[in-house]
Amino acid sequence: MIALTTPYLWYTTRATGMVALILFTLVASLGTLVANRIGGTIVGRFEINELHRSLSMVAVTFLVIHILTTVLDSYVATGWISAFVPMTSAYKRLAVGIGAVAFDLILAVWISSLLKLRIANTTWRFIHWFSWMGFATALVHGYMTGTDSRSGFGLVVVASCAAVVACAALWRFFGRPTRAAGRTALSPLATTKAGPRATRATPVPPRAAPPASRPFPTSPARPAKQRGPR
Amino acid sequence: MGVRRRSGSFVLRVNPILCDGFGHCAELAPELVQTDEWGYPILRSEPVPLTDAGAYESARYAERGCPRQALHIHRISEKKPH
Amino acid sequence: MIRPNSLPRLMHAASDRPLTLALHEAAFASSTSVTSLLDELEASGLTGRGGAGFPTALKARLIREQRGHNKFMVVNAMEGEPASHKDQTLLSANPHLVLDGAEYLASMIGANNIAVCVARDNPSVVNHVGRAIHERTRRSLRGPKLELHTPPWRYVAGEESALVHWLDDNESLPQYRPNRPHILKIGHGPALVDNAETCANVGLIGRYGAQWYRSLGTAATPGSTLVSVTGAVDHPTVVEVELGTPLRSILATAGADLDPQAVLLGGYGGSWLGASHLDVAYDNESLKPVGVSTGAGVIVVLPRSACGIVETQRIVHWMANESARQCGPCAFGLPALAEDLSHIAHQSRDPKAAHVRLVERCAVIEGRGACRHPDGVIRLVRSALEVFTDDFSNHVRGSFCNGTRATRHFATVPSLEREEELVWE
Repeated sequence: MIALTTPYLWYTTRATGMVALILFTLVASLGTLVANRIGGTIVGRFEINELHRSLSMVAVTFLVIHILTTVLDSYVATGWISAFVPMTSAYKRLAVGIGAVAFDLILAVWISSLLKLRIANTTWRFIHWFSWMGFATALVHGYMTGTDSRSGFGLVVVASCAAVVACAALWRFFGRPTRAAGRTALSPLATTKAGPRATRATPVPPRAAPPASRPFPTSPARPAKQRGPR
Repeated sequence: MGVRRRSGSFVLRVNPILCDGFGHCAELAPELVQTDEWGYPILRSEPVPLTDAGAYESARYAERGCPRQALHIHRISEKKPH
Repeated sequence: MIRPNSLPRLMHAASDRPLTLALHEAAFASSTSVTSLLDELEASGLTGRGGAGFPTALKARLIREQRGHNKFMVVNAMEGEPASHKDQTLLSANPHLVLDGAEYLASMIGANNIAVCVARDNPSVVNHVGRAIHERTRRSLRGPKLELHTPPWRYVAGEESALVHWLDDNESLPQYRPNRPHILKIGHGPALVDNAETCANVGLIGRYGAQWYRSLGTAATPGSTLVSVTGAVDHPTVVEVELGTPLRSILATAGADLDPQAVLLGGYGGSWLGASHLDVAYDNESLKPVGVSTGAGVIVVLPRSACGIVETQRIVHWMANESARQCGPCAFGLPALAEDLSHIAHQSRDPKAAHVRLVERCAVIEGRGACRHPDGVIRLVRSALEVFTDDFSNHVRGSFCNGTRATRHFATVPSLEREEELVWE
């Protein structure tokens, strides 16, 4: 294992960590714009989507550099394993541990998105929801690791990122355009796979009772033979 | 066996159950897909074939860009279905 | 004893109590021996009685050719059409004939399971079928396993892919089927889905043979069929008729209005037929040139005192609410059609623009659902536009239409407790 002792590794870790946080804030905001169907007139919706995808690659790159520099730096005692498994770092066990959790979640989202065309859309979406949790844990990690974030510029950055993503989350969940569902789970016919909304659908409308006097066409009573001119 | 040329024509199909009316397809392939008044793509069960390479490329962009992966390019083989 | 060229066939020996197995065997005794069931079915030319009218033998052959050891034979007695009562009547009179046919079809395709699906909202029919199945299983445990399933009644719950999806996954949701032909599967086993009346016809063919079967009906559409007549009738009736009978004589037998304004054929996804065409023969070959089909054996009679547009609007409104809401064009388009029709029917808020929009929207929505539910509604609307042209002009012009004041309605539409909310996530 190469252990380097230059202070620039440490500075790079801190810088890339902050940049990654800012980039992921942008990525989350763009994702919310996609989900809420923004665009179509000045900016194309697909453009916002593509920007979301491209920017996420950049953000992941900065994240990877952040982790690499942390692991390679001998100033802080973190091994390779601490990047993935929480609570294995000697240095700031909890803070780095939370960072590992964040990285795991973001890694899952990233890999599932790389394989998006090969996996089922429902699987991809399920994993993608965890990106919110990934961001939240990254934010906590950023604040707890604390070298820059406790005061001054760093605190402003962390606080603003938190505020922006909180607003995005609120908008995502409560400000969605209200339109009828194309969603199977909300279909009144989806009985077992009901999400919380599906219970608002009415129970099955009662079928009109079959008419009371429905005669069975029995052969003696009714001339059943219907031959007509051919 | 040698190199086999891809034969048969292609069509762009949408799975209307997966489609949620995002409308990215109409932006990426405007000559193939138009949207109705509710934002859903007008692609019918009798689909329009992709006649040239340009159309095929647009269709591929639309297929890749759909947030719900509702679009697919199907190959229509020359064999008649029984 | 059943005689070849006479009716009733399906309703032979029917009384107000369902036939027991013993009575059924006695009433349908036969000396004919049928060697190859599938060949006999092919020779008979039987077409499906559920609405699509697809050749039954072709369907069976297709499933037979599939590989899979856990095949299913599904008897579709859901009867999603509110104006149709024939399957209920058939199952209440003689469920064993239907089960006979199901067993024949199961042996044709090599299925070990027969799933009989009856809507749970009709407890008496469920009861009759349950008893019949119990009688058969008590008699012999060999042969395919008979199961009774009771999905909740919805219009689309009777659609093939929705029914199979219910059996597979407990939800009556129609599925997207782009491949033609599409093999429906329950688990890993291919499934053959046939209407209850179709199965009953197969039951007859299996006992009496194709030649006997073809002695009634026309060359292209042989046999007999059950027809539900509702609307302007003394009471809603189910009659068994020979295919090819003139429509007017069917109306006469059923005790319907003999001078109606129009009749709705096929079901709520079918088409209106104007009064001038009522002498047409009741079979798909003769009805095709006038743009209608027998569909699910439904005839709704509209008297001259009613307004065709109001009736159509009620049907479309209900059908829009019966959408599974899976596909955008159907979830949005059908309520929009209902709204436009409402503007025209009740002459509110610019009926002229509504009329134009109605025609445009029909063209836009067509062919874009996963199932044929929106197409059926569009077919109904277009036929209304054609048959009730004069009424449409009157409504758009603002003239008085006495049908709109009618209190009695002729297209029975189950009441909606509450409009089901359409919510987006």
